Amino acid sequence: MTPERLSRRDFIARTGLAAATIGAVDGLARPRPAQAAVAKVGEAAPAFTSTSTSGAAVSLADYRGKLVILEWTNHDCPYVRKHYDTGNMQALQRETTGAGVIWLTVISSAPGEQGYVKPAQADELTTSRKAGPTAVLLDPKGEVGRMYGATNTPHMYVVDKAGLLIYAGAIDDQPTTRRGDVAGANNYVRAALQSVAAGQPVKTPVTRAYGCTVKYS
Amino acid sequence: MAWRPLPLLAALLALGVLEGTARAAVPATEAAGPRVHVELISETAGIEPGGAVWVGIRQRIAPGWHTYWINPGDSGEPMTVAWDLPGGVAAGPLVWPHPERIPVGPAMSFGYSDEVVVLARLTAPADLPPGTRLALRGRASWLVCAKICIPEEAELALTLPVAAARPAPDPRSAPAIAAARRAIPAPSPWPARYAATPQSVTLTVAAPGLRADRVGEVWFFPARWGVIDHAAPQDTTVDPGGIVLRLKRGDLVEAAEGPIDGVLVIRERLDGGMVSQAFVIQATSSDTPGPSTPIIPALSLLEAMGLALLGGLVLNLMPCVLPVLSVKALALVAHADAAPGAAWRQGLAYTAGVLVSFAALAGGLLTLRAGGDQIGWGFQLQSPLVVTLLAYLFFALALALSGVWLAGGRLTGFGQGLTARPGHAGAFFTGALAAVAATPCTAPFMGVAVGYAVTQPAGAALLVFEALGLGLALPFLALSLAPAWRRWLPRPGAWMEWLKQALAFPLYATAAWLVWVLSRQAGPEAVAAALGGLVLIAFAAWLHGRTRDAPPHWRRAGSVTAATAVAAALALGPLALSAPPSAPPASAATAGGPVAERWSPRRLAELRAQGKPVFVNFTAAWCITCLVNERVALHSPVVIEAFARKDVAYLKGDWTSRSAEIAAGLGTFGRNGVPLYVVYPAGATTPTVLPQILSEGTILEAIEGR
Repeated sequence: MTPERLSRRDFIARTGLAAATIGAVDGLARPRPAQAAVAKVGEAAPAFTSTSTSGAAVSLADYRGKLVILEWTNHDCPYVRKHYDTGNMQALQRETTGAGVIWLTVISSAPGEQGYVKPAQADELTTSRKAGPTAVLLDPKGEVGRMYGATNTPHMYVVDKAGLLIYAGAIDDQPTTRRGDVAGANNYVRAALQSVAAGQPVKTPVTRAYGCTVKYS
Repeated sequence: MAWRPLPLLAALLALGVLEGTARAAVPATEAAGPRVHVELISETAGIEPGGAVWVGIRQRIAPGWHTYWINPGDSGEPMTVAWDLPGGVAAGPLVWPHPERIPVGPAMSFGYSDEVVVLARLTAPADLPPGTRLALRGRASWLVCAKICIPEEAELALTLPVAAARPAPDPRSAPAIAAARRAIPAPSPWPARYAATPQSVTLTVAAPGLRADRVGEVWFFPARWGVIDHAAPQDTTVDPGGIVLRLKRGDLVEAAEGPIDGVLVIRERLDGGMVSQAFVIQATSSDTPGPSTPIIPALSLLEAMGLALLGGLVLNLMPCVLPVLSVKALALVAHADAAPGAAWRQGLAYTAGVLVSFAALAGGLLTLRAGGDQIGWGFQLQSPLVVTLLAYLFFALALALSGVWLAGGRLTGFGQGLTARPGHAGAFFTGALAAVAATPCTAPFMGVAVGYAVTQPAGAALLVFEALGLGLALPFLALSLAPAWRRWLPRPGAWMEWLKQALAFPLYATAAWLVWVLSRQAGPEAVAAALGGLVLIAFAAWLHGRTRDAPPHWRRAGSVTAATAVAAALALGPLALSAPPSAPPASAATAGGPVAERWSPRRLAELRAQGKPVFVNFTAAWCITCLVNERVALHSPVVIEAFARKDVAYLKGDWTSRSAEIAAGLGTFGRNGVPLYVVYPAGATTPTVLPQILSEGTILEAIEGR
């Protein structure tokens, strides 16, 4: 096949068009990842708006300028029960909220799944367990959970005053259901807050969260 | 009162109905018992004093529920066992069969469903009295999940009699334990590397010769969380070089610093269906040239060049280089009184020789790396031929220093009696010699700098290597350039000859070390050839040396004969290397199996006519199941001993490169693929075909006729 003599302009134009077409097709055809865990430690914590048990809309942006702790929970999960039955979670909630930290408990269980509660039930659980969060957020569609890549209960996140995610992972280093393991455990959330108070970077910013899986829809 | 059946029946019916409704009133979640039934089983029906026994914790899991592997994945908890064993009995760590992937919503766990046997090895003290019974106890705790998770616990109990001699397998549990053993990941025969970016980890398993049509799925299970994203799909390609997996990076930043451990599960297509084979993988980062090089800290080019310079300086002290350098220095001392101009020109010529040689070596290294070879500095030492030639070189140099011959001529400028003044060409080639002599040795600082260099583009890498060369040449250059230094050198004298001869010994040692390297690379035949070559070199050196003072006719004859001997030595090396080693290099293979003969129908008929039992193994290099079967079953000491005891002939049909004879052999059993294992018992008319998944027990049963 004899190559036709193209003028330089034609050649560049044709090549450019071809490249653009290929690029467009490639971009459209490439499958998007099914679920991108958007939250990454060291980057801005994803903004969200969710509903609390009182029906009010709660946004992360409301608390800019304060430290925020996010706690994913499922009251029937044996790992969550370990921390609540021993009073460990409640003590941490009181300690931190007393120091001006915002504590948001998030329930991402889908309706019909373990851990799903109606607002009244959630409030009743808070009272009966003497828990002390700033607010309990109901996320039955799992939107906030998926935004943060919450995989387990309990799954803890710490957002600093500038809105940066500085910790994601387990509450402590004892991934068991044994109540006796709570006392001597190294609590990562407390350690993160201490690092912030000391003006230092968090020593272990990412750990594997342990617990039951979040019962997404 | 007469017995009235009707009221009685009515009462019974009512009771039944009531009981039924009462049962229905109990909520379903409380009615079920434990989701996992565990029991402790043992491979053998007893334990001997001082011996070991494999026990298994068998979990029978309710349908729809699962338990977890040692890395449970994104959620879950593996089983733990708290042993309560009688005095002196020790339990090893739990040994886990390879898991399966269990998706849970957007997350992924690794675990087991239906049934799994987790193994542990118990060892007994030597002072156990035979005839007593050992009570083995333990408490197993685990997490079992379906949609919800329940932590469960159970007591383990097993009583084993203490046997006087080797106990027999327990027929009830040995099959389950053998099956578990097959699912335990085997050590990988293939090296693995990984390359990590912030978003991905690419794992490359160098398994040449794998056939893509035989490999079904491949999954990588990391040993710990955070290395890869467990739920993300694993993009696998099988090419002639091996298996490449493109994995999504996990959240733990430090997980990709240092080796990545895990299990690779390959599903292979066999005649009968798909079979999973699991291997333990430790992938090293492909940024480091080899396991011996330390992890490279982030360096700038200048820092790397500085380290290279330092390394080159220290290299002067290594036994390979020191003698060469010292002799040059001695020559310099001998001519300390000569015109200063000559000395610095010598120094420059020497430096040039070193720099050019290093550039050539670096160029070779970079070209080969660009071509895809994962090699590092010292790559030239990976070729047995080069090792042999280097050994010859060092030996010849050492002989020259010992005074067996005088390396005459302008080209060498080396050991020419310290009387003659070496020319510039001589200095250049001595520099080249020093560079070549430096290659078997490494120095501190060098490793880091070279490791940095190989990750950089060609220009930067070349600069680092030249800095190394400069460091090597620096002492001699300094000595030759600065007349003041030479005043510090001792006066020439008889001590120079003494020192020269003493310096021969580090060179002999280097030659000896190179022969040892050759033995590891290419086996005894190559060593024999190299040693023969060294003898020829020694003969040539002696002959050349003796005939220097003889009349011209003899001198010429001597030179020619010496040259012939050297040529013969050079020819000997490649000749021996072309024959493959009779035993595979110790580092790659496990203990060899029973001694195998090549299968052929005629040999088979001969052995059968002799009435010997025959074990036939049809295998191929690209058959993964064959490989695992060999390692797990055929090469086990018990089987080898049984083969020897029963005088079993072992025939191996290697189908790696197709042969019509073997295809026909397979065809007689209705097969057209490997593996195929056939046992012809002594005196029996019909052969037994063994299953494609072999275990020790299967082989022993077939051989011993149990």
